[in-house]
Amino acid sequence: MSKAAEVQGRRFFEDYAVGDVYKHFRGKTVKESDAVTICNMVLNSASGHFNDDVMSGTAIGESIVYGGVTISMVIGLAAQDTAENAIRELAMDNIKLLAPVKHGDTLYAYSEVLDAAEHDEGGVVTFRHYGVNQHDKLVFQGERTVLIKKRPG
Amino acid sequence: MSSKEKLPFPGADRAKLLLPGNQYEDFEVGQVFEHHWGRTLNGGDNALFSCLTLHFNPNYFNAEYARANGHDRILVNPLLVFNTVLGMSVEDLSERGGPFLGINELTHHRSVYEGDTLVARSTVLDKRESTSNPDVGIVTWCTEGFNQHDELVIDYRRSNIVAKRGRRARI
Repeated sequence: MSKAAEVQGRRFFEDYAVGDVYKHFRGKTVKESDAVTICNMVLNSASGHFNDDVMSGTAIGESIVYGGVTISMVIGLAAQDTAENAIRELAMDNIKLLAPVKHGDTLYAYSEVLDAAEHDEGGVVTFRHYGVNQHDKLVFQGERTVLIKKRPG
Repeated sequence: MSSKEKLPFPGADRAKLLLPGNQYEDFEVGQVFEHHWGRTLNGGDNALFSCLTLHFNPNYFNAEYARANGHDRILVNPLLVFNTVLGMSVEDLSERGGPFLGINELTHHRSVYEGDTLVARSTVLDKRESTSNPDVGIVTWCTEGFNQHDELVIDYRRSNIVAKRGRRARI
């Protein structure tokens, strides 16, 4: 098997204990280039995410980040620690967008382990992910259930 | 300067604005929308999305790893599947609307691979008046995404604030 096939993530099912809370190391400033690219590439046609001229007449005054980008960015920031060894993503629930995110805001991610159960192929873990902006304001939270590999050997 | 001289081109004053989408009054519980377009997810989409969001699961960008993990091809990031299905539903459901409030009961039913084509369908589950803002209501839909074999790959419930006719949702 090639070296490319043998790359391995660090955290396995055995590393998650119910009640654990993690702060993920990296944050990311959501640039227009991130948010508008993703919004447009998934065919989200809502102008509020890519037309500053239209949005200049609203209370917020500029285009806002599409909520799917916020969800994906926060789960992405949590992914090295909670998805690197994912076999399959199974479900999401109680996804809440709690405050608008603007271009230039920075997102940080936290995760809490709600449940962890053995499975034939590995283990099923349910996380609650939290997304926090540069002012420490909670902008997103949601639950995600994923099948994760067990530690080899 | 007369108003005619301010026109960007002759005839601009005769242009009829073509409005997409629906407003609160247009939705009826049980109504089904077969969304337009469809989207083939290719390798560039998947790698760009997974890397821009720092989603470091090699199944989404390392073909050798995906093969060693039992897949014929690179898997599409399930969050890209979710966003694409939601994206295709926006014009019919929420483009004229207002803030996106949340997602519930999302299930990934089947893996999606690079080169697969997704289409989306939504059913209106619920609509209710807002208690705090008479200009808007709250509508809930079930959206389903299917692949090119008409197999269900994802479904979820979404709720949005939706502006009433002639009103604008406050953001």
